[in-house]
Amino acid sequence: MNRFRESGLLDPRNFKLRFDAPAMLGAAACIAISSLAAFAAKPELGEVASALIFVLGITLAGAFFGLAAGLTAAVAAFLLYNFYLTEPVLTFRLATGSDIAPLVVFNLCAAVAGILAGRLKDRAQAASRSNVLLSNLLDASQALQSAIRFSDIGATLAGLTPGQLSTSLRLFAVKNGELLALDTDNASTEFREAALAALRQDPSDASDKSLRAYRLYGSEGAVGVIVREEAMPDSLDAAFLTALCNLVTLAIERATLSERISESRATARAEELKTALLSSVSHDFRTPLATISASASSLIDYREQLDRQTTGKLLRGIVDECERLNRYTANLLEMSRLEAGQSLVKRQAIGVSDMLSAVLQRVRPRAGNRKFCRAYGDSEIAVVADAALFELVLVNVLDNAILYSEDGSTIGIEASADVAGCRIMISDEGHGIPDRDLNRVFERFYRVPRSETSRRGSGLGLAIAKGFVEALGGSIEARTPGIGGRGTSIIIVLPLAEIDAGS
Amino acid sequence: MLAHILLVDDEPSLIGVLEPVLIAAGYTVTTTSNGRDAIDASEQIVPDVILLDLGLPDGDGKEVIRRIRLQSDVPIIVISARHQEPEKVEALDEGADDYVNKPFEIGELMARVRAALRRRSARETDFTSCTTGDLTIDFLRRRVSLAGEAVKLSPKEYDLLQTLARNVGQVVTHKRLLAVGWGAGTTDTQYLRVYIGLLRQKIEEDSADPKLLLTEPGVGYRLEIAS
Repeated sequence: MNRFRESGLLDPRNFKLRFDAPAMLGAAACIAISSLAAFAAKPELGEVASALIFVLGITLAGAFFGLAAGLTAAVAAFLLYNFYLTEPVLTFRLATGSDIAPLVVFNLCAAVAGILAGRLKDRAQAASRSNVLLSNLLDASQALQSAIRFSDIGATLAGLTPGQLSTSLRLFAVKNGELLALDTDNASTEFREAALAALRQDPSDASDKSLRAYRLYGSEGAVGVIVREEAMPDSLDAAFLTALCNLVTLAIERATLSERISESRATARAEELKTALLSSVSHDFRTPLATISASASSLIDYREQLDRQTTGKLLRGIVDECERLNRYTANLLEMSRLEAGQSLVKRQAIGVSDMLSAVLQRVRPRAGNRKFCRAYGDSEIAVVADAALFELVLVNVLDNAILYSEDGSTIGIEASADVAGCRIMISDEGHGIPDRDLNRVFERFYRVPRSETSRRGSGLGLAIAKGFVEALGGSIEARTPGIGGRGTSIIIVLPLAEIDAGS
Repeated sequence: MLAHILLVDDEPSLIGVLEPVLIAAGYTVTTTSNGRDAIDASEQIVPDVILLDLGLPDGDGKEVIRRIRLQSDVPIIVISARHQEPEKVEALDEGADDYVNKPFEIGELMARVRAALRRRSARETDFTSCTTGDLTIDFLRRRVSLAGEAVKLSPKEYDLLQTLARNVGQVVTHKRLLAVGWGAGTTDTQYLRVYIGLLRQKIEEDSADPKLLLTEPGVGYRLEIAS
């Protein structure tokens, strides 16, 4: 039944008589025109010619307005012909047997023309309907092809439904053995039950007989169900639906595959991160631990041989390295808190210059003879942030400036407020960052490959800074050069705190 | 004469500890913080031992070892972190003599340095026998004795023990021991484990708790220096 039915000459559908107004008006017009022509032709060309003109009119009526119009025209033409044109004129008398002939011929012409016209019209209609359906299918196919996620498929079908289908559709995908409504969030229970029944392959189970479910089979069994309201049965709709089901099946399979691919990519990324984390933990914990362990065991084993100054240096080293371990632990902790989205709980208004001064106090012991050039005064710029995290971020950025610059160089710290927000810039005249790495330095565990000797950071500091700044709706970027054509500038822009008049 | 140690590490804090302590322990110390300088220094100062951190900023510690080995057989002790395990084994196969894992205690590092220096001086003098604890290996007569009593070893057992004894106090990699016992290219450490087990039964008081023939997990074995 899915195929288009061949409509033949004797197809009963073509004998349907529809005596509707357009057909009757058409018949009347055809007969009126052919009557006038016949009357005009009779004196010159004779009775046969006028009869043929009527035949033409009847044929046209049948051809253009269908069987009913043709037959009506035939009867009218016969009456007119008999009344006005045949002898004796102005009577309906059938003088001879030959007078029957026009009646028969007229009606036969009408019937044949009408049937042919009807058939033609059906064909044309069918062709135009199938054209529309094909173009709908094409649209659907194109739309479904670009549907990569399950939700896209649902949206595509929902977009089709009202205009292009006579019934409304619900699409369910089968995921991990569960039905998932794709086009609406709240698919009605009847639809869901019909889909479940279809999945169970139990037609008697369908509670609502007005719904029809189509199972979609992919390479790995049922991938979904399309449920539609049972409308007037229509062979074209059925064909369209079959094709649509195939398209949706393909789309669902593609979506499943692409979901799997992105899942495995996510797993691979997580693995990569884990490896990087482990390697980082290994290096960044062991390095300070090595110093602490070597110092402490030296103090135990060589106490007599070591002079006062060396002993003090070793003890100082132990304290410094403990501080370094502590910072690294804090960084790891904040990293995971940022990832879990917990960093924004303890927000409060923080004076930026206050914070910068405090941070400077903290990093100064590691700064050697580096000069800090401060340009923030005690202006009352404030941002809303988690204080501990804000401090850590600034310590990280300043530590980088110290780590990657020579002793005795200058480190610039600026803070200002403008329309964009609070702008904090920390610049150094150190080794700088190659242009290609300017964005990558914010990736976790990314360290700029360096040939020159320097201590290495953990690869976490700027990643945390970026996570922090973005969580607050700000921005962070690295620029070269920093100071005097050398080094790096890190520029942090944070939204300003709304200064409360009461506080 | 004071032994001269070349200390190569990019971590200033670790150099800050090791340098004064090594000096206090009676060594002369030169420090560099990258591989390029280490190669230069090894030519100029002719150190007696090199302490080399594997994680140098200018790249491959193995390459540094290869370059130094071209002109010198100075003992090289690799300092590495646990996650550098494969690099460490490669470094040992490349010609490094020993390693210490970070974090380490100073005593462990000093023991490695002493073992390296001892091997170096023994190589220069006549290295005909090795004694550690009650165990004596006579290289000339291929005889092994434990507390004065002769120990009977199969030829393969003796070859393995001799290799360990010639490097007493230092790790010998699986690869090297396998080459000695079964020829170069053998990779299955199963044979080696069996023979080490046999050796332990013969030379250890308790083969389940070895004091002399120690396992270096994932790397090789070490014949410990015992008094």
